[in-house]
Amino acid sequence: MNENIVLTEAVFYTLLALHVPLHGYGIMQETEKMSNGRLKLSAGTLYGVLSTMLEKGWIKALLSEEESRRKDYQITELGKSIVKGELARLEELVANGQKFIK
Amino acid sequence: MKKTIFRLYYVWQWEKEEKWLNEMSAEGWQLAHATIGKYNFVSGKAGEYTYRLELLDKKLKSVESTSYLNFLKETGIEMVGKCKSWIYLRSKTADGGFEPNNKTLYDLTHLLKVQELTNKIRNTLITMIAMAICTLLILENFGQSHVTEFLRGFCTGLSFSASIFSVIIIPFTNKSNEKIKKLIKELYTFE
Repeated sequence: MNENIVLTEAVFYTLLALHVPLHGYGIMQETEKMSNGRLKLSAGTLYGVLSTMLEKGWIKALLSEEESRRKDYQITELGKSIVKGELARLEELVANGQKFIK
Repeated sequence: MKKTIFRLYYVWQWEKEEKWLNEMSAEGWQLAHATIGKYNFVSGKAGEYTYRLELLDKKLKSVESTSYLNFLKETGIEMVGKCKSWIYLRSKTADGGFEPNNKTLYDLTHLLKVQELTNKIRNTLITMIAMAICTLLILENFGQSHVTEFLRGFCTGLSFSASIFSVIIIPFTNKSNEKIKKLIKELYTFE
């Protein structure tokens, strides 16, 4: 079922970042760091990405211990398999691209 | 320093309204509070904030909207005004403002939401016109009295003004349909 899924950059990087539990703002900082400042997730985009991935079960929300309503998120096993599938697809793209462009 | 400005924008003029708020910010007037047609500004640093208008999916008081607004707050975006489901957001310009990651998708979502709203308005207007005309027809069977005269005047006025409003909406709907088609085409090529 995962074979034909193409992830957006925002989803891909968010899933990578969520290999450790992070809250919304943490994800924004982490993805920016990973992409050397290229990918600046906007709050609106990230909110949409997180709610869709929660619905699909790719990530889960962790209950925060503090009274603050800040939610932490983490990737699920299903999410990890999605990233793996996407990575394979990207590798194919890169390999084919390099064959033609030398 | 403070100043209050009264201005009316139609729902489909959100781009103009947003542009105006950002121009005011550039001149050093920061929006502190907004409700329908009324804007309160406080003088501050020029360009300190970037403003954005958004249309919420659900009612402002709903669980979904509350959780969305809490999320925005965490990332430094605050709500400075509201008008039904329209909200006025602002973010420190230095933090990068509001630039969405996929502008095409963002514009498309926004246009569809606005169109849903204008469709609702248009349907209400058409219902009002129909009801007013029916009342006028029924009133034909009644004689003249203060009450029937009043109702006749009221219904004529109502259907007349509702017709004008529905005509005003037509060009917007056409334009936004065109824009939506163009954006969908773009989505096929670019993520």
